[in-house]
Amino acid sequence: MAKKKVFNIGNALSSGLEETISAAHNYSGELRVDIIPIKKIEVDPENPRDFLINIDELYKGISTSDPNFSRKTQEKESLETLAHSIKEQGILNPIIVYKHAEKYRLIAGERRTLASIIAGFNDIQAKILDVKPSSLKISVLQWIENVERSDLTLWERLRNLEKIVSVYANSKGTTLDQVTITELSNLIGCTKPHAINYKAVLISDQEIKNLIHENKIKSLEKAALLSNIKSLDIRKNAIDACLNGAQLKKLKMIAELGLEKNQLGKIKSIEKRGRQLSAVNFGGTKNVNVARLIVDSVLSHNLLSHISDYFKDIDWNDYKSITDTFKQLVKKLEELHVK
Amino acid sequence: MAKIIVNATHKGGEGKTTNSIMLAEYVALILGLKTLVIDMDPQANFSGRYIPMEYDPANKGGKIPSLHPDYDANEDHTWDGRSSIGNIFYGQEVIPYPTLIPNLELLPAHSSKLQDAEAVTKSEVLEKVHLQLKRFLELPDVQNEYQIIIIDTPPSKGPLTIAAIKAASHIVIPSQMEQFSIEGIYGMLQLWKQESYSRSKNNPISLVGILPNQVRDIKLHKQFLSGLSKMNSVGDYVMPHLIKKRAIYTEILVEDANPKSIFELPKGNVARQEYESACSFIMEKVLNG
Repeated sequence: MAKKKVFNIGNALSSGLEETISAAHNYSGELRVDIIPIKKIEVDPENPRDFLINIDELYKGISTSDPNFSRKTQEKESLETLAHSIKEQGILNPIIVYKHAEKYRLIAGERRTLASIIAGFNDIQAKILDVKPSSLKISVLQWIENVERSDLTLWERLRNLEKIVSVYANSKGTTLDQVTITELSNLIGCTKPHAINYKAVLISDQEIKNLIHENKIKSLEKAALLSNIKSLDIRKNAIDACLNGAQLKKLKMIAELGLEKNQLGKIKSIEKRGRQLSAVNFGGTKNVNVARLIVDSVLSHNLLSHISDYFKDIDWNDYKSITDTFKQLVKKLEELHVK
Repeated sequence: MAKIIVNATHKGGEGKTTNSIMLAEYVALILGLKTLVIDMDPQANFSGRYIPMEYDPANKGGKIPSLHPDYDANEDHTWDGRSSIGNIFYGQEVIPYPTLIPNLELLPAHSSKLQDAEAVTKSEVLEKVHLQLKRFLELPDVQNEYQIIIIDTPPSKGPLTIAAIKAASHIVIPSQMEQFSIEGIYGMLQLWKQESYSRSKNNPISLVGILPNQVRDIKLHKQFLSGLSKMNSVGDYVMPHLIKKRAIYTEILVEDANPKSIFELPKGNVARQEYESACSFIMEKVLNG
C-alpha cells in the first residue's frame, strides 16, 4: 500500500509563527521604538548634562563670540568618532526619550543624538515613553544605558549609582547603607556578586573613595576587596600593593594572609574530602625499628603478657610478616576490648 | 473612538477584498452601524463594487473614481468632482461616496495617486505616507461620522499597507491553508508585532485572528488548519470559523448579480450563515474586546 500523505507546516515556519506571536504578546507597548525627527528632541532641563554644546549649535555652528567656544569645539571634535561610526553602521541602540507636549525629552542618548546630527541625519531611532518617568526610573534607565560604556570611570559609575540608591532609600524611608544586596541587584539589574561589590564600595570610607575619585583604583572588584579589609595594617599593605599595580589575585592573598594572622592559635578545621572514615588507620612505616618498638611496647604491657606467646616467631626482615603481625595484634586487642 | 479594521496580508488572492466586502456589508446591513470603507489598493477592485470606476486617461490600466454625485460643475470651481483616499497624500480634501447599501460610505482608490504614495523613497516615507492615513482617520469629522472603518489593503508590505496598519485598531488576516499563504501570515505577523511594540497601552493594535479562507475538503487544507490550530500561541488566533471555497462568493461580485449582497440571501442559506458567523465572531471581538 502506498504511504499515506501527511502535510505538515514546516518546523521553521511553525516556530517562527509561535515566536512572533509570543513576542508581540510579551512586549506590546513596552518597546515603543520609532524614528523621530532630531529637531523635535530637547534635553531635560531637570537633568544634569555632560555637554555644553547643544543641538541648535550643531545645526547652526558655534558662535565665535561664545565664551565657551573652545570647549564646545572640543566637544564637537570628541563626537566625530561616534558620528563616523553612526554614518557607517547607524546607531546600535535607540536613544530613550519621553513625550513632552510636541517635543521629545531626552532620558538617555545625548551623545548619540549629537553625533547623529554631525553624521548628517535628520532623524534617529528612539525608544519612546508616554509620560515622564519618576526620577528614580530615569536614574535607573540612565544607569543601564551607561553601564556598558567603556569611557566611564569607576568614579562616574559610583556617583550615578549613589544617586540612584539614595533616591531609592529615600523613597523607602531608609538610608543608603540599609539597602540590601537583593534590592540593589533588582534596582540596577545586576548579579548579586556584582551588587555585593557595589554595596561594599558605596559604604566604604573616604580614603578608598578618594582613591577611586583620583582614578587610582579603577576596578570595582579591587575597590570592593580593599573596602572589606577590616584591619588597618593589612588594608594599608593591600592599598600600597594595589597602587603598585598588584593583580586582584595578589590582593586577595594579602587580605587572606591578614585573616590567618588574626586567627592565630585556633586550629583550622581540616577540609574533609571523600568518604568519612569509619575506622582508625594506623598508617605505615618503612622503618622496621619503629614497628618493633610499637609491638614490643604493647606486649610488655602487664595486662597483655598472656598474649605475647602468639608473637614469638616474627620475621623482622620481612615487611609482609610484620604487617601480618600488626593485623593479628589489632585483632587480639579488639577481642579483649569487645564492648 | 471609531474602530478601524484592516484586512491585510501581503500575499495576493487570499481574500482580502472579498473579506472586506463581506465584513463591511455585515456591519452596515446586519449590525446597522455607520460604516466607512477605504480602498488602499491601487487595483481598485473594492471601490468598483460600490461606485462606477473609470479608466484613467493619464495612466493606462489605472482607475479613477467616477464623478461624485454631489458634484455640481456650476458651483464647484475648485474641485474636479472626484475624490479618493489618495487625496490625503496630496493634502487635498476627501469626500466619501454614498453607496447603494444603507449606512455604508466609500473612500475609493485612485490608482496613480496610490501607486505614487506606494513608491515614495525611504526618507520621505515616514512623514508623507506612514502616518497620513492615521492622521486623517483621527480627525474629529471622521471620528464623529463613523462607528466602524474598514480598510482594504494592497497585496504588499509597502507603505500603503503599513499606513493602514498604523491607523488600525484591529487586524484580520485572511489566509488559505496552503504553504505560501501561511508564509504570508508570518510576514503579516511581523508587521503586527512591530506595530504592537510601538503602540501605547491605551491605543493597542489587536490581532482579531487568522481567518481560514477558501478552504476545500482536501487533506492538505485540513491538516494545515489543524496544524496551525495546535501551535502554541498561534492556535489562539486561528478563528473558530472558516470560509469554504464556494462559487457564490465570486458570483455575488459580478455587476448584475441579484441579490447584490450575501446578506440579502435567505437566512437559511449555507453561504450566508458561514460568512455571518465569521463576521459576527470578528465584530464581537472588535466591539467587545
